Amino acid sequence: MGLPLFRAQDDPGPSFVHFADAAGLRGPAALDGGAPHATTVVAVRYVGGVVMVGDRQATGNYIASRDVRKIEPADRFTAIAISGSAARGIEFIRMAQLSFEHYEKMTDAALTLEGKANYLSPIIQRNNLSTPLVVLPLLAGWDRGHEMGRIFEYDGAGGCYERQDFATIGSGSPFAESALRLGFRVDLDRAAALELGALALYEAGDNDPSTGGPDFVRNIFPLMVTVDQDGYYELSDDETATHFRTIAERRTASGGVAGSTLR
Amino acid sequence: MSNFFYVAPEQMIKDRAEFAQKGIARGRSILAAIYDRGVVMVAENTSASLNKISEIYDRIAFAGVGRYNEFDRLREAGIRWADGTGYTYSREDVDARALANYYAQHVGDMFSEGPKPLEVEILVAQLGNQFRATKLYRVAYEGTISDEPHFAVLGGDAETIKGRFAATETSPANLAVTLRHAVDALAGADRTIPVSDLEVAILEDRGSRRTFSRLSDAQVSELLSG
Repeated sequence: MGLPLFRAQDDPGPSFVHFADAAGLRGPAALDGGAPHATTVVAVRYVGGVVMVGDRQATGNYIASRDVRKIEPADRFTAIAISGSAARGIEFIRMAQLSFEHYEKMTDAALTLEGKANYLSPIIQRNNLSTPLVVLPLLAGWDRGHEMGRIFEYDGAGGCYERQDFATIGSGSPFAESALRLGFRVDLDRAAALELGALALYEAGDNDPSTGGPDFVRNIFPLMVTVDQDGYYELSDDETATHFRTIAERRTASGGVAGSTLR
Repeated sequence: MSNFFYVAPEQMIKDRAEFAQKGIARGRSILAAIYDRGVVMVAENTSASLNKISEIYDRIAFAGVGRYNEFDRLREAGIRWADGTGYTYSREDVDARALANYYAQHVGDMFSEGPKPLEVEILVAQLGNQFRATKLYRVAYEGTISDEPHFAVLGGDAETIKGRFAATETSPANLAVTLRHAVDALAGADRTIPVSDLEVAILEDRGSRRTFSRLSDAQVSELLSG
């Protein structure tokens, strides 16, 4: 690639997607030919931030991979998760990460969280033009202007909706959603939100064949992240293992029944 | 029939060089120097928002003197080139030398063929790691590119500032010492530059992928007084 210079009237501005199109860096989106997918990711708001928990399994006709990362930091204060086609999802995350950083470097100012959320809408729209619902992301982060955690979910047409409580994406959503609906309170603290997120994911992994629950044999556990005023934080393997061991031990003790306390 | 007056190439180049030099000399200079842990860039800049120094990529920074609109367009092109190259290949494939060469070609083309030469001088700084060395590439208004081993000065008064800096800083020191030498060299003996008129940025490894950071007035004051 040569030096990309534009005349003022053709300038793509600080948007990386528009620049990439103007420079011909991106081809047309490929059709999703049954590539590995399926997921569960949940996001939960708490007082002081957001929690995200996501499974690690990529599923085709069989389990294609057990340690996929479906949650990534989009930047220091934003987490992005994907469900759907792995190939397109990874590209989607890359595009989001690059775009937010590109904007910041071009303008010397970071995008607002709402700006980031809206920016993804047309990308989803275009991604899903030929094959609906190929990739659906989930965006959660710390809004530095309004000083609160915020969650944005999307529909297949690119619609962007802010959620005040929690959001789920992927094939295990119905099961995760049930746990969240019963367990969510507006005054959750960080520890309680992490526990609820882990529980919701455990439920999804328990019921949805395409969602990987905790893998005690290989010691692979769902990703757990928080975003608060100090930024994106990913829990260590030991920390996530503890969360899922506790749930699994309780379930073993109760003979696999969730029980009246939801736990 | 239109009339073309013959102008000897020597004369044309001389005229164009004079024109570019005059434009560049109107603005304040920039000094970039390698210190023990990274690269520091110091510009005299009365504006707090129209920057002369900018982040290009994880380990690459840009500095420009001369006409703002001209070097800012080059800055934007640099960010686009770096992000585009990193997207197409990998982040580690983005190399400052390639970018400096593109700048040199473009500035050189504009000097000899453009409607007017660009009135800019550009610096591309790269923080080294195990794959690459720390580098300062200076691109002059006529498209010559130079690889400066320890420090580089851009702008009209470059030779004088260069002399002053070389006299005080003989080998890479720590950030505070190098910054003090840089500010003294930019100011000269009979002048002090207020901290609010300094734009300072560094490339330094601090455990994250991006190494560029701007130093606030408070940070600069502290380093200068320490």
